[in-house]
Amino acid sequence: MIEVRDVTKRFGATVALDGVSFRLDKGEILGFLGPNGAGKSTAMKIVTTFLAPDSGTVSVDGIDVLRDPLEVRGRIGYLPENHPLYVDMMVHEYLQFVGRARGLAGDELRRRLEWVVEACGLGSVYRKPINELSKGFRQRTGLAQALIHDPEVLILDEPTSGLDPLQIIGIRELIQSLARSKTIIFSTHILQEVSPVTDRVVIINAGRIVADGRIGELERAAMGRNRIFVAYRAPAAEAEAALRGLDGLHEVRPVAGREGAARFEVRADFGRDVLAPLGRLGQSRGWDLLELQESPFSLEDTFIALTRQSGGAREVSHV
Amino acid sequence: MSNTGVIFRREFAAYFNSPIAYIFIIVFLVLNCGLFMTPFFLAQLADMRDFFGNLPLFLIFFIPAVSMRLWAEDKRSGTFELLMTLPMKSSEVMLGKYLAAMAFYVVALLGTLPIPLMLALLGNPDLGAVFGGYLGALLLGGLYMAVGIFTSGLLRDQISAFILGMLACFALFLVGVPAVSATIDGWVGGLGSFLQNAFGLMPHYQALQRGVLELGDLAYFLGLTAVFLVLNAVWLEGRKY
Repeated sequence: MIEVRDVTKRFGATVALDGVSFRLDKGEILGFLGPNGAGKSTAMKIVTTFLAPDSGTVSVDGIDVLRDPLEVRGRIGYLPENHPLYVDMMVHEYLQFVGRARGLAGDELRRRLEWVVEACGLGSVYRKPINELSKGFRQRTGLAQALIHDPEVLILDEPTSGLDPLQIIGIRELIQSLARSKTIIFSTHILQEVSPVTDRVVIINAGRIVADGRIGELERAAMGRNRIFVAYRAPAAEAEAALRGLDGLHEVRPVAGREGAARFEVRADFGRDVLAPLGRLGQSRGWDLLELQESPFSLEDTFIALTRQSGGAREVSHV
Repeated sequence: MSNTGVIFRREFAAYFNSPIAYIFIIVFLVLNCGLFMTPFFLAQLADMRDFFGNLPLFLIFFIPAVSMRLWAEDKRSGTFELLMTLPMKSSEVMLGKYLAAMAFYVVALLGTLPIPLMLALLGNPDLGAVFGGYLGALLLGGLYMAVGIFTSGLLRDQISAFILGMLACFALFLVGVPAVSATIDGWVGGLGSFLQNAFGLMPHYQALQRGVLELGDLAYFLGLTAVFLVLNAVWLEGRKY
């Protein structure tokens, strides 16, 4: 549905995007991750035809953004990073304006207006001036604007930035409800926002794609090994020695635990079952097992590992 | 509704969504009518020559004040990105904005109609000259507005857009003033006359003011207006790269 191939974009001496490629199939949701200033917005502006790439090609539904930008724009609903709102208008005036500008009229316009007002929860502010709205309602009005023409593709630039937790959940649920019928790219620099909505992510740093894949795969690629926490009621030195004697463990590191417990962080290859041997070790020595858990890496760990190794990023990408 | 029509409707309404529109119109009418009426009572002539004679200088301030927001406000507020990703040509958006600003100017101009009505009641004005004067005012305003929308596109800040637009309009006005072109001729022989003939608006405007409709004068205003609108459209497309 969306294909970005080898796109480069410079602003003067700054290279905003450097050979960026990724693709997205129909119905997929893509979390576009990266630190501030990484090039997320620039990439989205190119897909929405607001900017043209210096080199490389971008197509939406098979249509090249340079060859037929109007056709591409018709298929895309776009929420730019700064609220694209006319604050001098009322919510309904604004949505009508965008609807008409997108070629809706008459009954169709009325039906679509009813739908977006319902879907975005704008009923209570429908006849209020936009400059009196809270940030959450402004963001939802922006989202309603992007949805009014029932686009196949949604491009949302930081849709949850500056919202409170409840509002974030609201926006997230809205994105999830749209997931089945639409192809969606949304950007964020907040990692926790990605996993509830999708597991497909592209991570971008300093204008380059550092990772592209499923969150689970990326964790493996970035961190290399699984991480397990284990604690016994046992003398620390003895337990450590015993663990080091166990097959399949790569690292054994004592970490702080509760009083009287010998607690360790150990690493093992993905796919290798070390939980059972760790349990049996306690039994055979007569130590009480106090803790035994696989601890998945947080998205933060992955993100930091991937953006740090940007130089070696090429091997990690396209997992 | 056509694409340009949708934009026109929103932009025209935007002028009247804030008190600024009413202030602009009141200032326009008070100053113009005030400047006209004072000598009118002294001269006791039933014509509007003074009224239209003041316009080229007055509009240098008024028109850029109307046009300054056209792009600068959108760029500041983020709606520029919305407009430029709508499924319509950027030239259609621009034309909608331009026509909306012109419609606002026409509303202000219509407010001066009581003057010719009053003249017709009091005396026997040359209606041809009055008509030519209004046509000149429209064309002159159209040219200034095209300069104004172009300068508004170059800048993010409305005040800077206002000042730049004012300077550009003033330059068009100045090169048409004989004293100025003579001075420039003194520096570089022929340059002043060339600029006066090619760009100066006063000779063309004064011809219309006399009620003389000539193709050359119409072509000057419409042609130069088109040049600035095309420049604006080119800038809108070129901005992407």
